[in-house]
Amino acid sequence: MNLLRTAFLTGCFGLLLLVAACGKPTEPKTATNTLTLLAGSELKDLEPMWANLQEQTGIHLQITYTGTLDGAEILSDPKQHYDLAWFSHAKYLTLMQEKQKLIQAQEKIAISPVIPAIKESLAKKWGWLDHPQVTWTQLAEKIRSGQLTYAMTDPAASNSGFSTVMSVQAALANKGDALTAQDVDAEKLKSFFSGHVLTAGSSGFLSSLFLRNQAQVGGIFNYEAELLKLNRNPLLQEKLVLLYPQEGTVIADYPLLLLAKDQAANYQKLVDYLKSAAFQQWLMDTTDRRPVNPAVALGTQFPKGYLLDMPFPNTIATVNEILFAYLNEQRQPSHTYFVLDVSGSMAGSGIAALQQAMANLAGADTTLTGKFARFRNREQVTLITFNHQVQDIRHFTVDKEGHALQDIDAYVNGLTTTGGTAIFSALDVAYKQATQARAADPKRFYSIVLMTDGLNEDGMSYTDFVRLYQQHANSAAAINTFPIIFGNADPSQLQALAALTGGQVFDSRTNSLAAAFKQIRGYQ
Amino acid sequence: MLKRLLAPVLTLLLLVGVSTAIYLSVKEQASLQAPALQELKGIIGSEKEDFFRDPETVAALAKAPWHLHVSIEKSGSRELSTTQNLKNQYDFAFPAGIAAAEKLKREQNGKKAVQLFFSPMVIASWRPIADLLVANHIAQKRGDTYYIVDMLALFGLISHEQRWRDLPGNTAYPVNKAILVTTTDLRTSNSAAMYLALASYLLNGNAIVENTAQIDKILPQLSALFSRQGFTENSTEIPFQDYLTMGMGKSPLVMVYESQFFSEANKSPSAITPEMVLLYPEPTLFSKHILIPLTANGETLAAALEQDETLQQIAQRYGFRTAHSAANSRTAALPSLVNVIDEPSYDILEAMINRITAR
Repeated sequence: MNLLRTAFLTGCFGLLLLVAACGKPTEPKTATNTLTLLAGSELKDLEPMWANLQEQTGIHLQITYTGTLDGAEILSDPKQHYDLAWFSHAKYLTLMQEKQKLIQAQEKIAISPVIPAIKESLAKKWGWLDHPQVTWTQLAEKIRSGQLTYAMTDPAASNSGFSTVMSVQAALANKGDALTAQDVDAEKLKSFFSGHVLTAGSSGFLSSLFLRNQAQVGGIFNYEAELLKLNRNPLLQEKLVLLYPQEGTVIADYPLLLLAKDQAANYQKLVDYLKSAAFQQWLMDTTDRRPVNPAVALGTQFPKGYLLDMPFPNTIATVNEILFAYLNEQRQPSHTYFVLDVSGSMAGSGIAALQQAMANLAGADTTLTGKFARFRNREQVTLITFNHQVQDIRHFTVDKEGHALQDIDAYVNGLTTTGGTAIFSALDVAYKQATQARAADPKRFYSIVLMTDGLNEDGMSYTDFVRLYQQHANSAAAINTFPIIFGNADPSQLQALAALTGGQVFDSRTNSLAAAFKQIRGYQ
Repeated sequence: MLKRLLAPVLTLLLLVGVSTAIYLSVKEQASLQAPALQELKGIIGSEKEDFFRDPETVAALAKAPWHLHVSIEKSGSRELSTTQNLKNQYDFAFPAGIAAAEKLKREQNGKKAVQLFFSPMVIASWRPIADLLVANHIAQKRGDTYYIVDMLALFGLISHEQRWRDLPGNTAYPVNKAILVTTTDLRTSNSAAMYLALASYLLNGNAIVENTAQIDKILPQLSALFSRQGFTENSTEIPFQDYLTMGMGKSPLVMVYESQFFSEANKSPSAITPEMVLLYPEPTLFSKHILIPLTANGETLAAALEQDETLQQIAQRYGFRTAHSAANSRTAALPSLVNVIDEPSYDILEAMINRITAR
């Protein structure tokens, strides 16, 4: 009797699937369950499938996007309430959780190594086409001799930069096993990072920055998935050759993490869906990540052969030490311009928020990500305050001892507010200063933050600014402006400004001015 | 067009089917007067998850005389043994490893410890790598599917910090990676502790470690086996999943339970390819899967798993060896292992783990 019933039920289930496939979209099979998910921002590209997920499983994902290290910090707070987390890797979080068991279960969903890619002409010249024996050491030599410059994200803000820094550290220390702090060869690393000419706070933005400045840069470190996508971009003038260094690379494996024990059943449903052949096929075809379901054959866009992975440090202290050494000692320093509105309308809460935001960058934010976002040793900071005209221009050079940080804090605390708003006159001054400074000291990253709470009322008009900018577009290239929407600022004009200069708008209204300032640090 | 015609027909068939199933189901319920299922909840080592989730397991447990419905949560076995107050939350705990079970039973006042399944520790590897080890006299091929690996010789390569490319005649895997066996995190996972038990026996001159003087002597070598790996995962299923999905670039040698490999091999479709092979350490040791009942229902479950033949067969399908393994044809392919050593005592194993992870 039992067998018969099983047979019937199995048959019916098969039919049910068939009917669903044959007919119009059906009602969700089960009631909707909403799960909260904290996800890496690079996973936004999966959104087209979430309607299908809900239809198939009744699971609705309520997603908040953030960076990998920011995410780890959010999740280590015992008061956090997320059911699930999903980042390109869980190593940092696993090391960070120590005794408190945050991760209840995990399943890897996709694979993408973080690798170098160089322009085809360079690969040809160096005999690196279809050359599986290329090493990080050879790349380092091309960089040292000035033949190769590259784009890479900030390792404290984005996982592709983080993975690259980890790979480079291990490879240049010539380690076949786990890296420890003593292995690090600072001089070799400084030389390697001297070729870093474009930086960004996210892997997607890095690709667009690369496209914008492709004539000036030879290579890029990014996810294999992001590089394959970039290679299909019609704006790309010269194909990129993807390299798989012999020493290995850090590989993103996208584990879906269960945090809330009581969601185990829904988690299992979600995992089954994500690992199903149908989803995995879509994932590979649409996002160029490699599937983990062996039933899905690897596409022809991927080279044959195995992916070599790099050992990852086994303590959070080692990882953080590597990051801080990178930020404060090894990377190319930046010169950061802050164009700050001190007009009358900023009085009260406006100026207080600005003072807090700047104080945080000068060291007041003692969270881990706050420390990563702090002004770095060797960095130059120029503060340009304006109302109806430029009020003051102050330069600071950040020193190991922290004197400059105290000076910045004291200076910002002394700001007073009065007068009108001449946004573009002030921004024009910033560009003049930045282009001159770069001509004198080209081995730095230059960028501009524009913070205003109102509309342009005085001085140069936006149209005039655009005209001037375009006249000097070459000397200003890759000096991007990051406008912050605050108070009554005009979002559409700031968007246009960001697009013009290759920057990105940050909206302080969704969180806080301090959060926006902190996020922009990834782009400096 | 065909689809449009098919849909109503199929719907009709479906309705007939569902009605019949409901009818049969109701009839069966009525005729058997089956008692309500006892709900119980357990926390288990992750390597037994698939066994418990199998619909056949669920069905066999629901049947007379057991009438059980088990829900599970998984955990690293060692992590599990240090979790507080299991009794308030679970009816049973089912870790892997004698040491973890011993501790758990003692600290949770478990009623007893029932050894149900066992599985030898093996190294999951790849044919080109296994053949390379054969060429270097580290391993021997046995039949088509498995190899015996001389662990002392392998530890020799590891302690001399050899890399794969250093092996003479290596064209199959000439990479920069250090030769190491991938394990899990010693602090949380039993399979790593098993590797430690094995290594300590060999490095201690083929003798089970019994005192701290012996630990002192071999500690640096033992520590290096783990610290040099760098980041390790918390639970054995993760490196095995990596082995299945990421290939030999990630994991040339992975310490796993034999059961994990055969469980996957018995699936259809299976992720096991002809390139994937097992290296049996000689000597090896058995990981024992021990159930500790925390409530009366937990005891019923232990009895079911011990006595029910169907459940034993399902367990074998999941790659476990059981007391009745010999009688089952499925496991005929498993090599019989003669040279099997015991784990050190709980206290010695803990002392080694604490000293290694404190370094």
